[in-house]
Amino acid sequence: MRGHKVEQLGIATVGFFWCFLMWFSTAAFSPSIAATYHLTIKDLGLLASSAIWMVPVGRIVAGWASDRFGAPRTFAAILAGCGLVSIASAFTTSYELLFAERVVVAIAGVSFVVGVQHVAQWFDAHEIGTAEGLYAGTGNVGAGVGALLLPRIFGTDYRSAFLWLGMIALVVAAWYLWRGSAAKTMERRDAVRRGGDLRGMVFVWTRYIAIALMLAYAMSFGLEIALNAWLPGYFTRGFHDEILALGFTGVAGIQIAAGTFAAVLSFNASLFRPFAGFMSDLFQRKGWTPLPFIAKELPYAPRLHWLGIALILIMLSMIGLTVAGLYGFLPLSIAVLVALGIFVSFGTGGTFALVPLLFPDCPGIAAGFIGGISTVGGIAYPLIFASVKAHVGYLYVTLYMFAPFILFYFWAARHERHPQEHGLLDRALAGQRS
Amino acid sequence: MNHVDIRVAPHEPWYKYGVAVLLFEIAVAIAVSGYSLYMTFNGLGGFPGKH
Repeated sequence: MRGHKVEQLGIATVGFFWCFLMWFSTAAFSPSIAATYHLTIKDLGLLASSAIWMVPVGRIVAGWASDRFGAPRTFAAILAGCGLVSIASAFTTSYELLFAERVVVAIAGVSFVVGVQHVAQWFDAHEIGTAEGLYAGTGNVGAGVGALLLPRIFGTDYRSAFLWLGMIALVVAAWYLWRGSAAKTMERRDAVRRGGDLRGMVFVWTRYIAIALMLAYAMSFGLEIALNAWLPGYFTRGFHDEILALGFTGVAGIQIAAGTFAAVLSFNASLFRPFAGFMSDLFQRKGWTPLPFIAKELPYAPRLHWLGIALILIMLSMIGLTVAGLYGFLPLSIAVLVALGIFVSFGTGGTFALVPLLFPDCPGIAAGFIGGISTVGGIAYPLIFASVKAHVGYLYVTLYMFAPFILFYFWAARHERHPQEHGLLDRALAGQRS
Repeated sequence: MNHVDIRVAPHEPWYKYGVAVLLFEIAVAIAVSGYSLYMTFNGLGGFPGKH
């Protein structure tokens, strides 16, 4: 196979960065779109939520396709398809058609699992945490860069932005096809292609450890996207008087302050993610296995312990958010939020430092399952937050969801040999060759 | 996936550059978070781009 692994990491990271930029470009221009088409608040909410509609199913399909057809072809198809529709949306004058086109462009968000598979096919076990962390963390920054730079470059001219984003996506797609290579060796590529069938999918979906990692990712990335949507409103309502006391006035002022607090969580969750992968590598290198119950003898046992620590820290931070809120102490709440953003990155980075090691013959299918289903958390948590009093929603989610998730993780990760052997179906029924 | 004993596997040259990039990203995260929180707690504005 041609290419060098650092080049492949670079291609995957640029491709993912651009996909994230396209994914969140609709949100960056939602005020301009609202002004052009005279949208109501309800319409805006629908437009904002549409960004994640395609992600759960799309990631499952994209993960399978990357195992079957190789990451370069799959990634290039996503970039080219979303790019062409983005270009078309720049010339659309009907809001209904624009909405449908932007839902299609949001499919770019599924590219995450394709890049995970691509990086896993090139990097070895001792460096996979840092490599996957650099890919995902740097790519995630595309969302923040979109929010910061797109409105400054294009002003309210969202049509030009969509046109340029689409055209550059076509260039990146061509680059991915030209220089991208599916795996480091033909043997590795062939093994993954053979594993990327329906039997491989049934096998992964029924493994307890895959379900545990999916729940771990729902506790981290699922929580991150839930809080991105939830926190601005939470601070506006829950700390209204405290924000006024800082000197902000009016709806716009409170919105700026609340949006800043929310953005800090997402910014830290993205930019600390490579560090989380590095820490997973460090745990592995040092052989640290401090937690009880979780396996200590597996070749990747220290990585399981690192993820377990991350999940416990996320749970404690969520309790901290409730405590700070009930005391009405805004600085403490922000301090906990900063910590939560970092711990969320530990969870996301720790999860995908493990996925390729647990399922080396079907990393795309595993990444699709874990990265896809977990995004449902982005919809579920805000519903729970909204159903109880402002500050105690975090405690409810922690007690009734996160605590059982962690117990399940500890239970699924306890096997000292081949945890992926254990599942809802035995290995033969799950369709896997023994 | 090559299963080597990573406790003895040496890092390849790219690794130190990878670690440098991740340290740079952490520095950016701390600087932007610190700046924007300072601005907010002084009632001066918010996250860059949210003004």
